[in-house]
Amino acid sequence: MGLITPLYDMLWKEYLIWSLLVGGFTFGWLYHHTFFYRSEEGIDNNVDNLEVGVFPVHYENLKLEVAWTILPFFLIVYLAYISWEPLDNIWSAANAEDGYFGDECLAGEASNLYWDDSDGVYKADCYHVIGITGFQWSWEFDCYNLEEDVCAHGVVNIEGNDKPHLMLKANSAYLTRMTSTDVTHAPWFVSHGVKEDIHAGKISSQWVLADDVEDFLLICTEYCGDNHAYMIAGISIHA
Amino acid sequence: MERKALITRSMVAMILLSIAMVFSPAVNSLPGGIGGDTIQSAGCNCHNSFPSSDVIASLEGLPEEYNVSETYPIVVSFTGGPPEAGVNAGGFNLWSSGGEFSVIDATVQARSPGEVTHTEVGNDYREWSLEWTAPSHGRDVDFILHVNSVNGDDGNGGGLDEWNRLDLTVAGSLGPGLEQADPYKVLGTLIIISVILLAATILYGFYRVNPDNFDWEHLAPWIVDWLTSTDHKKVGTLYFVASLFFLGIGGIMAMMIRIQLAAPGLNFISQDQYNQFFTLHGTTMIFLAAMPMINGFANWIVPLQIGAPDLALPRINALSFWLQPFAALLIFTGVFTGQGADTGWTGYAPYVVSEGAHTGVTMWVAGQIMLVASSTLTGINFLTTMAVMRAEGMGWMQMPLFTWSILVANLMLFLSIPAFGVGLIQVYLDRTVSTAFYDIGAGGDPLLWSHLFWYFGHPEVYVVIVPAFGVISEVLATSARRSVFGYRSMVYAMAGIGIVSFIVYGHHMFTSGMSPSLRFVTMLTTMLVAVPTGIKIFNWLKTMHGGSLVYRTHTLWALGFLVTFTLGGISGMFFPSMAMDVHLHETYFVVAHFHYVLVGGTVFGFFSAIYYWYPKMTGRMMDERLGTLHFLTAFVSYNGIFWPMHRLGVVGMARRQHTYFITTEDFNHLPEWAADWNLFISVSAFLFFFSNFIMIANMLISLVRGQKAPADPWGGWSFEWMTSSPPPTPSFGRFDGEKWHDLPVLRDANEHIANEPGAFASWFNRLMVPENEEEVGH
Amino acid sequence: MNDHDDHYHHIEPWGPHDWGHGAPHNSFSPFFLSLGVAVFLFAFAQAWEYGTYNPGHIPAILVGLGIIGFSMFIWWRQDISFDGSYEPLSTGTPFRKIEIRKVSVWVFLMSEMMVFTSLFSTYMRYRLGISNCNTVFERGMFDPVTNPTGWQEGVAVTCFEPASHLIASSWWHLAPGAINTFALIISSFTVVQALRYAKMPDLDHDVRTKKVFRYLASTWALAIIFLTLKMVEWFVGFYVPEIHLGPIHIHEHDIISLVNEGYTINADHYQHHSYVDHDTGAHMVADIQVSASLFYVTTGTHGAHVAGGIIGLSYMTYKAWKGLYTPLNAVSIEYFGLYWHFVDLIWVLVFPFFYLY
Repeated sequence: MGLITPLYDMLWKEYLIWSLLVGGFTFGWLYHHTFFYRSEEGIDNNVDNLEVGVFPVHYENLKLEVAWTILPFFLIVYLAYISWEPLDNIWSAANAEDGYFGDECLAGEASNLYWDDSDGVYKADCYHVIGITGFQWSWEFDCYNLEEDVCAHGVVNIEGNDKPHLMLKANSAYLTRMTSTDVTHAPWFVSHGVKEDIHAGKISSQWVLADDVEDFLLICTEYCGDNHAYMIAGISIHA
Repeated sequence: MERKALITRSMVAMILLSIAMVFSPAVNSLPGGIGGDTIQSAGCNCHNSFPSSDVIASLEGLPEEYNVSETYPIVVSFTGGPPEAGVNAGGFNLWSSGGEFSVIDATVQARSPGEVTHTEVGNDYREWSLEWTAPSHGRDVDFILHVNSVNGDDGNGGGLDEWNRLDLTVAGSLGPGLEQADPYKVLGTLIIISVILLAATILYGFYRVNPDNFDWEHLAPWIVDWLTSTDHKKVGTLYFVASLFFLGIGGIMAMMIRIQLAAPGLNFISQDQYNQFFTLHGTTMIFLAAMPMINGFANWIVPLQIGAPDLALPRINALSFWLQPFAALLIFTGVFTGQGADTGWTGYAPYVVSEGAHTGVTMWVAGQIMLVASSTLTGINFLTTMAVMRAEGMGWMQMPLFTWSILVANLMLFLSIPAFGVGLIQVYLDRTVSTAFYDIGAGGDPLLWSHLFWYFGHPEVYVVIVPAFGVISEVLATSARRSVFGYRSMVYAMAGIGIVSFIVYGHHMFTSGMSPSLRFVTMLTTMLVAVPTGIKIFNWLKTMHGGSLVYRTHTLWALGFLVTFTLGGISGMFFPSMAMDVHLHETYFVVAHFHYVLVGGTVFGFFSAIYYWYPKMTGRMMDERLGTLHFLTAFVSYNGIFWPMHRLGVVGMARRQHTYFITTEDFNHLPEWAADWNLFISVSAFLFFFSNFIMIANMLISLVRGQKAPADPWGGWSFEWMTSSPPPTPSFGRFDGEKWHDLPVLRDANEHIANEPGAFASWFNRLMVPENEEEVGH
Repeated sequence: MNDHDDHYHHIEPWGPHDWGHGAPHNSFSPFFLSLGVAVFLFAFAQAWEYGTYNPGHIPAILVGLGIIGFSMFIWWRQDISFDGSYEPLSTGTPFRKIEIRKVSVWVFLMSEMMVFTSLFSTYMRYRLGISNCNTVFERGMFDPVTNPTGWQEGVAVTCFEPASHLIASSWWHLAPGAINTFALIISSFTVVQALRYAKMPDLDHDVRTKKVFRYLASTWALAIIFLTLKMVEWFVGFYVPEIHLGPIHIHEHDIISLVNEGYTINADHYQHHSYVDHDTGAHMVADIQVSASLFYVTTGTHGAHVAGGIIGLSYMTYKAWKGLYTPLNAVSIEYFGLYWHFVDLIWVLVFPFFYLY
């Protein structure tokens, strides 16, 4: 299993490699120079003849400077390009023509979410819509008219306190319609690596792509007052 | 040589640490399976039963508050569920977080000293007796009881069995004199002690300056002079002292936070207090520690570097400073009443205007309004000074890089901070006279605040880091005995950062529901920031090439800055990539990143500045051995704090949380090692906190015993090294009632270039008032 | 830590400066100004809490304002002896020989620009983001086919009600704003005249004093008119008598102030006289707190700038009356003039956005 989701994972790995390359290059250079160009103790070798009240000679090399302007720029263009790709999937349109997850499921229709390795995207036949309402300091889930197997909610005990519990079906795509009744909150589906702010009087939405069977916590990641840290819910994804 | 050995050792430590860091953060996957086999949090599933509220469990015999090591007889029972059958009537499992259970009959068996369950025989009962011996530590003890009502069938049948759970907490008595201290009192006491220490330091300083004049007649005018001075050097010193003071206060808050997070589920400070501390930690560190530190050096060094007698508007400058301590008073007012601001330093609407937020928020907002006024005035003052008071021969492109960095920072600051000020005034009015800017019910928009805040907030973080760039440029070049590589590209890079800073702020709002096209644009612009920053880092590295690096404490800090800032810059690249940001947003990965750039960048940069300019400011050299020791301890412990946070953030630890949850049988969350790393971070945090007292001690000792500093101890070229250490007042020149005389003139080692203004400069010159005096209108 | 250099000049933190020595001038003004601002902001927040008024804290507010006034007094006491001989001039290119303080005023106006830009962006956000009350009203009117219920009494809808809906509805209502516009424009002219006469090199001192004083005083008076009319428009209202003057016939009526019309920051059940459903007779009531907050805070911020100008002008008028302006220090009138033109310019933007459109 990957870090969070394959979508996240492929970016993360690519970024780590580039980070190591850039970091290795920079630190190699840094440590080489810090050792190699040390002055001998007590010898002040004034290389560029610095003198008080005189602007020192220019020490520059246009080719080098242009090089380390252009090369990082290319790297950034590349990183922006690869970061762009999964966005389409994360913010997929909610219809069959433009999006990856089809139209909303009819009653009894299975979502059939799967990871398409060749395209590097999640795909599904159709999606279910569930509702999440945040308030100070708990969550309320709404399954609308979905079958109990696809979506159910209840209460679960987490470390001695009753918390809301949402049960979803694996291999299904869910589109959440979310709002808040008071201040701003943000539900974070930790294992799916997605979160989105919810505001009072506004509807926001995000894709919850329940692929694996897993039980994990949903936590609030937009500071909302006293009990913010305990505004959690249990998410169970069953087969 | 001792000092050389120390330096070599610290270099080796730096490298070893970097290598260690490469290996330590191997990001593990979230644990997939369920580990352990405790029933205490999983619930009872022995008879394939389901939870039900019909079953009512009872646990009798426990006191409300236990006495240490006393033994209590307890009775476990339940009612409800399927009718009692005589055989296989029920079962239970009882777990406690402390003390020991002892079995008194055959119906009960112990699984461990802290967990008991029924026996085969006990399965036929619905009531069991046993004993519990209280622990000796005196802290609260939690009990979790599961009972299972069985309908008499044998084995795993039916599914008619029902179970339920009971949670109890028994308070411990710590005994007289061992009550937990009120954190407010702790904080208040610490602040009072700090104030007393500060006053004592001031008195001692006064005493040392002239031991013969230690009486009120001399003390009073001396204090009045400090209260009323408009001399840029004195105001700078005031800024500097204030910033160190608040660095301590903010640090104490960070320590409170770290104790709370040392282990999961602690309650060292209540959630309410925790929320206030992290809010005030942020506000204090940014506005009352980092900014005054920068202003302190800007006040001291900028007029000296450009060869000006003083700042353009000295009285305004004093006003900029004095607004700060009074603003600090307002910001902290709430804390002393137990109602400090609890909104996070971003103060997101609509929570910030809701009545659920503490009353201290109003004062916190009022204090920040004053800070906005202060920053605006500072910006005006410095921009004017740099535009008009440069010494003869010093064009824009001959200004020292520290001055340039202050110019860029102030330009960013004063063009962005009015937006924040207006937002704050709106919030202040919402909270007082009940206007409706962020009243959701009346149509107010919470995102408007986010826009106003981050329009300021993002340039603000560059305002804090760019002056550190300036310091590093000065320190590295001087230490390497070279002129800085690519002076002009350094300037353009800084200016580029300044311009780009205004169009990237949307990346703070990637998950806020802002329009996707805006998010996309800011994703691209944010990535762009890496280019000028990269130029600066590579230029610094190239500066050392062919140089002759003289290792001093400030050099070590500058190299340390390069390490930490590069790491912070690299981790910063993960955020504009939105697919990752939706996961990383508001996690400890963010906390790690911005502490890497704000502490590893700004604070390290200004530690370097302290060691670099202290001789100029006081006329005394600092102790190099203590300095190296400070670097060694602080640099290592600093990385110990923030490096593991990357990993914690990725596996799901969210910021601004009073506690964190470790994976249980029921739900996956943080892996178990997260608790160990948090403890490690807390210990490192304390080391870092205390290691900085080495520097304070160094400064105080050097003030009294340090060697006399020459005018140019490090061999720098800019004007500040021309005057004596400490400089006279006015800093340069002499005024005869009409005109300034003897102001310095800058020579240029590149005369042939300097005499030809560039295309932009000549265009700009034509726009301005011509040089001959006749045409100057009055 | 430096020894204090009182061998160089005597510290006068309270009193008039000796401007000739060029060393830093100690002043208590910054310290007390900061203290006063802190006391004021603190007491103000105690006196009003979410619209609840606690009059017991008014004395504390007055103390705060008193301290601010005291610090201004110190500032001016130090400044009044300033005869312009020590006007610091720029040494750096490209501003060489320009007065340093003039540059700083321009830089200050740059940040002021951002203040009003932020206020206007708030305005744009809400003006464009919340539908206009008039549109909402017309959309919800009774129609036998599409909307058979029409407006219902008592249920407040949230919408944006521009103040101009009240103000621009009649010439009389617009009159204070219109007069104010001209008052400010004329005052910009008079301040330039004051500068012109103060600068005139070959003018008799008494004539100059008289001219400068008169022009500054009339600027002051015009600014006072501006604020007075604003208060009338907000809080008081006025009475229009019956007039028959040739072809002009005006009947007697009252112009009701904005606050009395119900246009307040607490107006969650605001009702304009035109919001009546013709068919059902029901009223549309609106929650217009956001629009009212915007109107009062934006025009109020501008008003605060005018008030600040008045305080500065009072001092300058006093100085002119004392005959202390000479061609040498006349440029300080220009600094004020720059600010005053800016305030004027902002009004020229505020007026159409909040009074006409």
